[in-house]
Amino acid sequence: MKNHLRHALQTGLVFGIIIVFLFLIGFTNHASAMVGNGLQTNTVKPGFGLDAKMFNLLIFFALLGIWAGIRSSRRAPGGGHIRVPQALVNGLVAGLVSGLTVGGLAYLIGTLNGAKVRMSTYLAQLLPETIKLFTLGKLPAETFLWYLLLFIVSGLLGGLIGFVLVHEGLRKAALTGWNKLSAGVATHPAVERMLGSRAFRPTINVVLLLVLFLVPLQLSQFWNYTLGTVGIYVLLGLGLNIVVGLSGLLDLGYVAFFAIGAYTVALLTAPAPHHLLWSFWVALPIGVVLAGFAGVLLGVPVLRMRGDYLAIVTLGFGEIIRILSKSDLLTSFTGGPKGVLNVGGPGTLLGFLSSELNELYLIIVLIFLAIFMTLRLQHSRVGRAWEAMREDETVAGAMGINTLQHKLMAFGIGAAFAGLGGVLFASRNQFTGPEDFNLMVSINVLAVVIVGGMGSIPGVIAGAFVLKGIPEILREMENYRIILFGALLVVMMLLRPEGLFPSSRRKMEIHQEEPDETDLTITERR
Amino acid sequence: MKKLTFPLFKKPLTSYQIIQTVLGIIFSAYLLWRVYQIFIANPTYGPDTWTRFLIAGLVLGSVYALVAIGYTLVYGILVMINFAHGDIMMIGAFGGYFVFEALDVIPSPTAANAKEVFLNAHPIISVLLAFLVGISVAALSGYFLERIAYRPLRNAPRLVPLISAIGASIFIENAAQLLFGAQRRDYTNPDILTRGEGWSILIGESKVILPYTGVLTIVLSILIMIGLFLLVRRTQLGRAMRAVAENKSAAALMGIDVDRIISQTFIISGGLAGAAGVMWGIHLGLVYHFVGFLPGIKAFTSAVLGGIGNIPGAMLGGVFLGILETTGPGILGIDFQLKDVLAFSILVLVLIFRPTGILGEVLNEEKV
Repeated sequence: MKNHLRHALQTGLVFGIIIVFLFLIGFTNHASAMVGNGLQTNTVKPGFGLDAKMFNLLIFFALLGIWAGIRSSRRAPGGGHIRVPQALVNGLVAGLVSGLTVGGLAYLIGTLNGAKVRMSTYLAQLLPETIKLFTLGKLPAETFLWYLLLFIVSGLLGGLIGFVLVHEGLRKAALTGWNKLSAGVATHPAVERMLGSRAFRPTINVVLLLVLFLVPLQLSQFWNYTLGTVGIYVLLGLGLNIVVGLSGLLDLGYVAFFAIGAYTVALLTAPAPHHLLWSFWVALPIGVVLAGFAGVLLGVPVLRMRGDYLAIVTLGFGEIIRILSKSDLLTSFTGGPKGVLNVGGPGTLLGFLSSELNELYLIIVLIFLAIFMTLRLQHSRVGRAWEAMREDETVAGAMGINTLQHKLMAFGIGAAFAGLGGVLFASRNQFTGPEDFNLMVSINVLAVVIVGGMGSIPGVIAGAFVLKGIPEILREMENYRIILFGALLVVMMLLRPEGLFPSSRRKMEIHQEEPDETDLTITERR
Repeated sequence: MKKLTFPLFKKPLTSYQIIQTVLGIIFSAYLLWRVYQIFIANPTYGPDTWTRFLIAGLVLGSVYALVAIGYTLVYGILVMINFAHGDIMMIGAFGGYFVFEALDVIPSPTAANAKEVFLNAHPIISVLLAFLVGISVAALSGYFLERIAYRPLRNAPRLVPLISAIGASIFIENAAQLLFGAQRRDYTNPDILTRGEGWSILIGESKVILPYTGVLTIVLSILIMIGLFLLVRRTQLGRAMRAVAENKSAAALMGIDVDRIISQTFIISGGLAGAAGVMWGIHLGLVYHFVGFLPGIKAFTSAVLGGIGNIPGAMLGGVFLGILETTGPGILGIDFQLKDVLAFSILVLVLIFRPTGILGEVLNEEKV
């Protein structure tokens, strides 16, 4: 009983604080607009002195309140089973607490607004119209009561829903039903025959290739550009996957090699500052080789370091390259802060394709090449050496693996992939400048690898789509992309540290450190 | 490493050691030559300029030192780089900023001046209040940072908490940008602490200004560091912290609540960063959402320089890096634009040639 109540109280407080935070960063406005578009309630006349926008906001808050109620009616750690009255009480308490928090803020803001304090000077999002929306155009005390009531009702509702959802019997029934269904599909003779047949994989591959070839022809320029961005990040991710995922060397300065590739192609093909005007196809391999060479060069001194130190040194290298590329020292060579304009591209190779499409196809082809290379490497002697090194460097050395040489190889190959990504990036944008190469790029690529699942190729592709594709689609959420990205990294590490599509080995590795679970499975087997 | 005091004579050299020695000799020779050039052969700056550099470096260094201690404390206990530490400093800077802004509107008229605001009427109380709020806010965020982003990952592989820390850092920076806006804000100081004003000293023929804000920063950070030193050396908490840093499981067996000690470590390191943030604001005068990033990285550099896990080392490293940043470009004869490159290069060089730092790392089996 006591545990349950404390749990409900905590949930209510956490939700209240989250809602206050969402309001202060201005997210509630966007969210209520989205609710309005989704539910088609933009023309509703709700009465009570509210307009449609306020109505949408209230719906959004009610949804959050219901969620709080659902969370609060889950079984508390250390608490017993939950019955209906308890679930309702929990929902009520959670709703009450979050209602008090949000209502309190509304009261405060309403009062300050009444006293003509200009809050937007300090809290950037509190513009007059936002304040009017949030205070529902009413007196502070009225607003307070409105929110209190709203959250209590939605909390109660959430408690009830939560009870239905998480009631042990119901959840178990749903789970077993799902398991039976999926098992039934997988063991169905037709499905088994299809999966087991020799033609299955080639067919899938051909279909995939056809889709990849035909889709860009149908899409608009914006979508092709987005696909290209995702593709470049897949390439970068594949490269970093070799360094971090396979060899276990944490590299936070990956952007340095990306920059080397981009600047190589830019300086060789652009009219200024050197007027070399080489062909893109000559510059491409040069950029890749130079980046790979830089990787080995950087690798020589730093590879004797331990994990965290390596991370920080590579980070330092990345920043050095960026600062140097925009400094006065190298302005005559790299174009300085202005960057390099009119970088050459692959042109219209096949005659009938536009330059942009050509670029996209080039990226796709190179991704396939990179995947092929990674697979071959991973399953070769070298790949096994990398993985051994990742697990335990000392033991790997004792087994006769030349760790230094293999580390250098990983660094060099990873850097070459990054150089390739840089070449494509610069030629596609027809521009390159120092600000393209800040630390965020390294972190983005690292996140692609981690979120997807370290050491796993499908993971890298999925990670690139999730982290670079979805944000491009959610353009209207522009301001919230990066903060969401940061939150996603933390949440991902907390809930699913092995990534979306982990390699089987990595998954086992992470989960073996939870002794409770393994104990359980052993007893169950007995 | 300790056994190889004179590897030159006792063992055949590896190629790595040869390269290391040769590069070291070349670099030292170049440095000596530069110093000779700068000070004796053809001095580009007079002694007054060097004094100015030195003062600026000391102030900067004492801020770095405070932040670096935070890194070192956390690294010593958890063996992880608290990537979001610089952002906690930013939070502290904002805390102090809002206190000053608030006190700047509250009237506190005196007989002489009816229009005076609280900030100028009671500058000492105001500054103390700003530090108090800055430190508390930062300490609180340090506590919650550990609770939310690090504690659940205590037993995960080492890469996992680091990624979580990077995520937390991005989150805090952007939350601050969305909350407070992206513009750079001027720190409102009390009148007696106006930036750029100070005691003037005559060196040679020209005046060098010793700014009040700088002196405040240096004195306060020395006081805080002495306090911290006493805390770590003399109190129960300090002993428990050292025990946990030495060996977590043994400490737990001795009846130390490890989770509580880790929380308290984060509170202390957050508080130090908060104090540094307020100092940064008072002395340099600008605060915005990204203000903690570079000082954070440089403070980490200082911590590594001094030997990570080693508190006096972090202090020394911070001061050294601050001075190096202001005088280094002059000594080496490079552009002042490149002072950050210099800091990073030092980091790289130290890690390559002496990874245990100047004073040596406090090592135990777990970390090796």
